[in-house]
Amino acid sequence: MANSVNISIEAPIENQIQEITYDGQEIYQAPLSMSENLARLAQKIDFAKSDDEFCNIKKEGESSSEVKSEEDKEPGYQSSLWPWDSVRNKLRNALTEVCVLADVLSIAKEKRYMVLDPIQPDSIESRPMVQVYGRKKALSAAGAVLLNGVERLRASETMRMTRNMPDFHIDLLRLRQNWRLKKVSNTIVGDLSYRTAGSKYSQTGVFEVTKAPEEQIAQAMSMNAAGPTPSALRVTVPPELQGVAFISVVCQKEQEEVVTATLSSSALNCPGTLPGDGAELHWQQKLEAAQNVLFCKELFARMAAEAVQLDASIPHMVVGNQIMATVLPGIQLLIGLCHNNGQNNNNSEAVKTKVVTSVSRCAPSPQPEERANKNEHDHVLEHSLHQLLRAVHHAHTHHPFPHPATGPLGPSKRRSLAGPMAADRYELLDMSKEQSLLEQIIQQAQHFFMRRRSEYVLDTIAKEVKDPLIVSHWNALNSPTQSCVKINIMAYGYDAVCRTSLVVHVGEKTLKCICRDGKVRHLSYELQELRDLIYCQIYQHQMTAVQAVGRCMGWQLLASSSHLGSGPVEPLGNASSCLLASPNGDRMIAIRCEPSVGIQVFIAQSPRKDFFVSELVQDKKWENLGGAFKEVKLEKMEGKNFLNKMELLMACLSSPS
Amino acid sequence: MGVTVLQQYPVPENKTGTYVIELLTKRILALGATQQGQFLVDCESYLSLPQMGTTKTVHILHNSEQPASVFSILESGTKNIHVIADGLFDLLMMKLSQHYTSKKQTKIESKGPRFELGDFCVKLGSVTMNQSFKGVLVEVEYRPCVMANAVWGLLREFLQGLLGPSVPVQPPQHLLSRMNEIYTPIDTIYQYLEHFSAYRKLTGLRSA
Repeated sequence: MANSVNISIEAPIENQIQEITYDGQEIYQAPLSMSENLARLAQKIDFAKSDDEFCNIKKEGESSSEVKSEEDKEPGYQSSLWPWDSVRNKLRNALTEVCVLADVLSIAKEKRYMVLDPIQPDSIESRPMVQVYGRKKALSAAGAVLLNGVERLRASETMRMTRNMPDFHIDLLRLRQNWRLKKVSNTIVGDLSYRTAGSKYSQTGVFEVTKAPEEQIAQAMSMNAAGPTPSALRVTVPPELQGVAFISVVCQKEQEEVVTATLSSSALNCPGTLPGDGAELHWQQKLEAAQNVLFCKELFARMAAEAVQLDASIPHMVVGNQIMATVLPGIQLLIGLCHNNGQNNNNSEAVKTKVVTSVSRCAPSPQPEERANKNEHDHVLEHSLHQLLRAVHHAHTHHPFPHPATGPLGPSKRRSLAGPMAADRYELLDMSKEQSLLEQIIQQAQHFFMRRRSEYVLDTIAKEVKDPLIVSHWNALNSPTQSCVKINIMAYGYDAVCRTSLVVHVGEKTLKCICRDGKVRHLSYELQELRDLIYCQIYQHQMTAVQAVGRCMGWQLLASSSHLGSGPVEPLGNASSCLLASPNGDRMIAIRCEPSVGIQVFIAQSPRKDFFVSELVQDKKWENLGGAFKEVKLEKMEGKNFLNKMELLMACLSSPS
Repeated sequence: MGVTVLQQYPVPENKTGTYVIELLTKRILALGATQQGQFLVDCESYLSLPQMGTTKTVHILHNSEQPASVFSILESGTKNIHVIADGLFDLLMMKLSQHYTSKKQTKIESKGPRFELGDFCVKLGSVTMNQSFKGVLVEVEYRPCVMANAVWGLLREFLQGLLGPSVPVQPPQHLLSRMNEIYTPIDTIYQYLEHFSAYRKLTGLRSA
């Protein structure tokens, strides 16, 4: 053909796939070595055909021998290059030998020149006694093995039956019910990691199960006959998972410890009850402790990685077994991993001192106090750390089902609905955001502080201000990062007349106050802002309450202003005032309220008593205008509180003089 | 997602589209807006084959503001039916190629810079069909409000200030009937479709 096309054919480079594992990984076969390849090819030769071809080869061999002899004249050059040279030589030698053998056989067959005679083989010396002894010895060895086994079986059976010893297999069954076990050749190994629960932590949690020596069981039984029977199992956990571990969360404020939360399982809460010798521990407790160690390690490793990755304005620090993060200005969150792997005999002491040293570096306070602090640690942060990692594990194993069954697996329900609901880019961006564990725990700690601070502010104000009463109701239901408090301001005995209520939402770093008039104010983490707001609300309440009381008493409100322009400038808010007139109009009460000074009350009456005719004002009628205001000394007045005093004052002024 | 008004800006005689875009960019930047990337709205139309009876048109639109969604509007005589779906809808249309054929030469898109100015979001799009420039569309969105009636005055004033007195600002045809309803992203898409259909009918530049 004129336009022929070159086609090159080559074997695929990749090796044959031997196996595809369940996670999709392909295991390739190793490429064949030269000898293996030859062996594989040799297997394909059909030796049944060799009879005919043998002759051909012989003929060819004869014809090619001449060629070969010519080639042999150039020794070394080609033979050294050709890798099959030695093979060819060996084959040729073998062929020669086979040819000679064939010749000899054919000559012997004719029986003219050669005769084949049978040869007597050398008689082997047979010594029957040696054989007998040998067999006897072998049999007795085998018998001993069997007898030994029977003895052990019988011993364990009788021990179990008569002396009420624990049964290994029953124990193994119990272990199997709670833990993952498998048999690897001669040993039983188990896995205590959280891998099946969704953990992706690389450290393995392999433990080995063996049978406890009988002497130990007997000894343990004799030690405490009354207690529960010791287990026939012995569980060996790797050294890095031995002992006790917990995560301590310390919040410190300006070199002073504020709160400590300790993460540990309930058994580890009082490490003093854990005996130091691991062998005496029941396997269940031992495995639980090891699992807890693994959990704490995973939690800490995760948070340490996040602390390094996150770029906060004040960078988080990871030093050794401790993570430092700034929660609020001046307040730090210390998360430490405390792990005691059982080398020390006194477990609990070692752990305690470790924590104390980590704390006392910053807070040089006496140790007994520290310990008292430890005992009354807050369970909330401990619990939420647990919860956060478990939620991560849960999310790893529980994917939302795709709604059309053919849809992609993985995106959340919100994300899969984003297309049909026409979510815009901000919402989509929002969905892709994921909060790390550290961020979440920092937020929770921030909220914890904000809550405590607001509590403190409200309590101190309630203590400072007796009139009116400040009552705060904290919502019992709240989330780890949000809570809500309702504040009621009212006077004793006048709560039906006037009460001011406001709601404060406590967030992570901010407060949101919703006042009675519907105004929403966002406050920062500074305490003073909330304090100022509450004080403003208190004085506002007094003004509105006095007006309400006046209304009840039949007094008339002449004027009121909540933002008075006159007077000295107030440090917070504005002065407010109101003017009330008595029912028949002859008395007036003026109230001025300045947050920094307090409440001042003035009264005036008309006709004024101190009216004197002067040159300018001569007519008598002007005395009805009302005189100068005179201040009332409130503290000298009777009455339980301000409103009570005002009621008395109004009652007094209403009566005809 | 707030109320969006799409307004076409006439390109003056012997001026290019880039000139107009630059002019408007200068104006909006002078108002204090900041540029926040680019945007793209494209539209492709599919015609049903005659075997299916009366010919129907399906418009497939994408808006970069809703990146996960595909908007489709079926024109069947008097009534328009819209479906909002996720990105897989494009693949579905490919499967339907036996029944709906794409009119490739009418693929039309509007792209350009996107600005944010306080609560407003302004997009200056130059409309191209088959790489040929067709005109300029200005999209203004007021994000805090979802009722067209409540915000139309504000939007008109903003548009007048931005586009100048020479451009008459009228409420979009699509919005007229829906002034008192909650605005949804598909309303923006309808406005784009209106303008795109108008551009397709014209051969040259659209002046007014």
